[in-house]
Order: sequence, then C-alpha cells, then structure tokens
Amino acid sequence: MNNRQPLFRVVKKNQVDGRKVILSYLIAVAVALVLGAALLALMKVNPLDFYSKMITLGIPGNRYPARSVEGFIRLFVPLLLVSVALSLSFRMRFWNVGGEGQFIVGAICAAAAAFLLGDVLPTPLVLLAMVVSAALGGGLMGTIASALKVRYGTSETLMTLMLNYIALYLLRFFGETQGAWNIFLTDDSARPRFETFPDSAQMPTIEIGSFSLDVSLLVVVVLCVLVYIYLKYTKHGYEIAVVGDSPNTARYAGMKVGRVVMRTVFISAALVGLAGGFYVSSAGALSTSVTNNVGWTGVIVAWMAKLSPVGIAVTSVLITVLQYGCQVASTTYPNIDSNFANLLQGMILFAVLTADFTARYSLVWRGANKEVSA
Amino acid sequence: MSAMNVLTLFLFNIVVYNIPLLYGTVGEIITEKTGSLNLGVEGTMAVGAIFGYLAGCYTNSLLVGLLVSFLAAGACGLLFAVLTVSLQANQNVTGLTITTFGTGLYFFVGKGLGSDWPGMQGSSALVNGFAPLEIPVLSRIPVVGKVLFSQNVLVYLGIVIAVAAWFYLSRTRVGLRVRAIGENPAAADSVGVNLLLYKYVHLVLGAGIMGLGGFYMALNMGGSFEGSNCWINGYGWIAIALVIFANWNTVYAILGTLVFGFFNTLQIYSGSLANAFPGPLGWLSAIPSQLYQALPFIITAIVLVASSVRSKKLGGQPAALGLNYFREDR
Repeated sequence: MNNRQPLFRVVKKNQVDGRKVILSYLIAVAVALVLGAALLALMKVNPLDFYSKMITLGIPGNRYPARSVEGFIRLFVPLLLVSVALSLSFRMRFWNVGGEGQFIVGAICAAAAAFLLGDVLPTPLVLLAMVVSAALGGGLMGTIASALKVRYGTSETLMTLMLNYIALYLLRFFGETQGAWNIFLTDDSARPRFETFPDSAQMPTIEIGSFSLDVSLLVVVVLCVLVYIYLKYTKHGYEIAVVGDSPNTARYAGMKVGRVVMRTVFISAALVGLAGGFYVSSAGALSTSVTNNVGWTGVIVAWMAKLSPVGIAVTSVLITVLQYGCQVASTTYPNIDSNFANLLQGMILFAVLTADFTARYSLVWRGANKEVSA
Repeated sequence: MSAMNVLTLFLFNIVVYNIPLLYGTVGEIITEKTGSLNLGVEGTMAVGAIFGYLAGCYTNSLLVGLLVSFLAAGACGLLFAVLTVSLQANQNVTGLTITTFGTGLYFFVGKGLGSDWPGMQGSSALVNGFAPLEIPVLSRIPVVGKVLFSQNVLVYLGIVIAVAAWFYLSRTRVGLRVRAIGENPAAADSVGVNLLLYKYVHLVLGAGIMGLGGFYMALNMGGSFEGSNCWINGYGWIAIALVIFANWNTVYAILGTLVFGFFNTLQIYSGSLANAFPGPLGWLSAIPSQLYQALPFIITAIVLVASSVRSKKLGGQPAALGLNYFREDR
C-alpha cells in the first residue's frame, strides 16, 4: 500500500563518545541558562547581575562569608548523599522515588533516638544511636516497597510514591499534635512546636577561624567514596551491574535476583534515611519541611549524572549552587524568588535529556546508506 | 448553624473542593492508558492554573480561561511527549522534572507580576462563571438538591468529561487502539497503528484536561496568589493515587473523587460535624486530621498491594505502563 520509507529513522549508536557527551551536556546547560536569562530580562532583572550573584553565592560584599559557605554545605550534604543513594536503586532499574519518605522516616528515627537517649548517654553514643536508627528506619521504608516488588510484582514507583505521603503526614502528626506521649514537641510553648535537640545530639563541628565545618560533610564524602568502591570493586557491585543490565542473564548465572534487589534497595534507602538523620542533627531540630524536596531533586541529580558517583558529586555541587545561589540572589530582587532555581533546574534537565538523546541515538535520513548493525 | 446545614455544607464542599482531583485523574488515566506514566500532574496543573487564570482575567472570559489553561497544560504534555516518546528519555525523571519546572514557572509568573496581579473580583465573567448554577426543580430537593444540583458549571463539565472519556476509551475503535498501545506497543505497531501520533495526541489531551483542573483550583482559591503555597497544593499527587484507586476507569474516578474528597473535606469539617452530631459523630474530632489527609494514600497503597497479590497485575493497569517503546529494541 504505502511502502515509501519514512523521512528519517532513529538508530541507536553502537558506541558513545564520552567527550562528545560531556560537550553536549555543557551546551545543554548553556542553552538553559540563556533561556533563564531571557526570562529574567523579561522581568526587568539584569541577568548577568543575577547570575553572578548566584554563582558566587553572594559572597563578595557579604560581611559574613563563612555563613554563606555553611548554608551551602547544609544544602549540599543531603543532596549528595540522597543522590548517590538513589542511584544504587536506579542501577537495578528499581524506581525508588521514595526519597522523600525515607528521608523523613530517617529524620524521625534520629530525632526519637536523640530525645530518648540524649540526656542519658555520652555524645558519641547518642550520635551513633541516631545514625543507626535513621539508617534502619529509612532502610525499612525501602524494604516495604522492594519486598512487595520482589514477592508480588507491586509497582515500586507507585508504592514508594504513596509511602512518601504517608511518611509526610506522620511527621506532620508528630509536629502538630500535643500530648504527654509526644517526645518531639517542646513543653514550654502553647502552640505545638518541635523541641530542639539536646546538645549531645547535635552534629559536631570543626571550627576553622570564623567558619565552622559540619562534620557530616566529611562523613558523607567518605560514604560516597565507599559506595564508589562498593560498586566498582566488590562482588555485590558486580551483581548490581548484571541485574541492572539484564535480570534474566543474572538468573541464568545463578544469582538470586530478588535477594540482590532487596539488599541493594535496603542499602539505598538506608543511606537516604542516614541523610535525614545527619540533616536533623546538623539543624538541631525537626521541621515539617525537613526534606527541602531533596528526595525529588536527588532523582534528577542521579539521572543527570547518569548514575556515576563522580558525576553525581559534580552535579550535586552545581545544583546546590543553583538552589542556594538563587536563594541568595533573589533577596535582592523583590519580583524573583528562590523558586526560580526550580524553573532553571527544570530547563537544564530538559536540555540535558535532549543532549543525551543526541549522544545515544542518531538519525538516518531516507536514501542514506543503510548502516550495518553490529 | 443547624445540624442539617452543617451536614449539607459538608457534602456540598466534598464536591466543590475536590473536582480538580477528577480533572487531574481523568487526564492521567488518558495519559497512562497509552502506556506513559506522567508524574508531572502537579506541575502541569500549576501551569494550566496560572496561565488560564491570567488569560481569563485579562479577557474577562471564562471560556478563554478554560481554553488557555488547556493549551498551557497541553504544552507541558507536549514537552513530556517530545522527551519520552521521541527522545526516549526516562518517564519518571521527565515527569518529576515537569513538576519541578511547572511549580517553578507558577511562582516565577506570580511573583513577577507582583502588585500587578489581577484580582478575581475584577473579572465578572470568572466570578459569575464559577457561581453555583441551579438546575431547575432538582436543585430544590432538600440536601441532595444543594449538594448535586446547584454546583458551578465546571463541576458538571468535569463529570461530562469523565463520562465522555470512559466512552471514548472503552467503547470506540480509536480508544481500543489507545488501550492496545498501553498494553503492548510492539503488537499495536505491527498492525499499523500510528504510535507516534496516538501517543502525542493523548499525552497532550490528558495534560490539557489536568490543566482544566488547575484552572478550577485557581477559581476556587478566589484567584489570590499568596506566594508561599501553590494553588495545586498536592492535588496532582493525590490524582496519581486516585488513578490506581479508580482502576484506570474514568467513571470509577468520579466515585473515587468523592471517596478521597470525603476524607479531604472531613479533615476540615470533623470538628463542626462532631459538634453538630455529638452522639453519633462525636468521635470524629478525636481522630487526628493528618490521618484524614494520609488516608487517600494509605487506601491506595492497600489497593495497590491487594490487587498485585491477587493477580500479580492490576486489572486496569496497562501492561506497558512506564516503559518506553523503541522499535529497534524488539
């Protein structure tokens, strides 16, 4: 009937040139930034001025530059750890979009440990208890979804999504309901308010001049290196790679796919929970907006970095510059708020996804010589 | 207020406050039936809401508002289609990004307008268009008349769209092809269904309907832009849950909207209902309001687990949901 060839068809490239990929990503980010600049100009804001404030985090001309760096680190630490953690699940094509919920449960568990043990045990033990309970709490949240997925094939995307909101309302419940049983609220306020942690439960800092370095940054960097080693040099890491590539191959090779999925998702979710624990310990109190959307942003960061730990480290720095920088820069302009970071982040990811396509696929036009696929 | 009035108001508000869920759910069902899981409902609704509202205000026309909200949200759907269908991008990531982007755009436009923000009172067409439309005779039935037959025109429109979508998806030849794509794109492709066209049309259509829900929320909030909370306020996420609860059926979605809406509204009315009926409903105020808010998600999680335990696959869930189709991968 109609045997004309289509105008063009899409073909998967046999090999992907790494340098071209990086170049196309850089072009993508540039395109998104130019679009953002156009939007800023539309709002009668000088884009160069806004961007320079954003990229320098407003440090030049700031009387307390150390505070800016501390604020940056406070956003960066959870984002880095959550992104690395989620990438573990994604490597096996397990769509853990439950970062928000796992983070919240980690934070609640850490807070519970802080209030129950804070006045009883010495600082190192309190911190240890908080870290362990945060990891267990987060890991358990992940295990609910992974066990159902492995046993019954329940969609993990939808399940983790539901658990996010269940966790969120649990946190709100603790934050808004007064009662003798509620250890999370302060006693000396008529309205419900979260209690500040005892001193022994606060994340230690290292003072360098006027700058105080949050110890959780060092711990998280070490954890990320460990994840890198785990993925690259251990038997478990190899199993994750095989299961992610083809569950059937893994099964024929005698791997217990279900067990690998459960184990990896537990580690992934436990690390997200840990991030929640670190965050509340640094902040010194719970809050109903404790996640700061890091569970969602983490998905985007992990994907943008193509799940590579090094790429995630670089991307988290960039996204944190974007978010913290926008927060700082927007204080100067009444008609721009910190949500501009989200807009920009969205456009960057759209551009990167497009660039990713050009790196992985090519178009073959009608009449062109047919490629021999290998 | 008499006890009966409280009950009537409660039932009335279940409908008024929660119809946006129906729009969002119907849009997402149309999207998911083609095999695409669009997690960007929240952002798509936000974009539809703000542009539809502004257009409606500036032109003083409800119809223009509806049209623009449909088109603006449809543009988000188009973006999703380009990225996931043509460019093979991951659906989860793209959807989440549309939510981030959409809410970012919402605040950008709203904050950018600042004091130039148009109030809804300035637009008589929007105010009148959103006023209750009393259906003759029927609206005079006690309680039921107020609850079901004196709602605003967008409530009726939402129900009409839901029923029409059901008919379209399950009773027409084109709808059959849509479902075939969602179940097995390779098979549909091999019998000559134009996958690209079908996917694009329905992703845009679905997103457009979500946008109408956003427009509804804008009007329901009286068009006041606060700058701290988005109008959509999580309704997009509840809609995604509702799709599962409604088993991918747009008529069940009407029922589901009322069930989820019941809990959503109970959270606000539990106190006054307990006061009005201290005997039978006194216990309502003892339940924490967060439980009412969490219930839609808890119920959905249970439905999700129960149906996967029973059959390893949900009845209405498209088999290829969330998977990209690339012809050469077969």
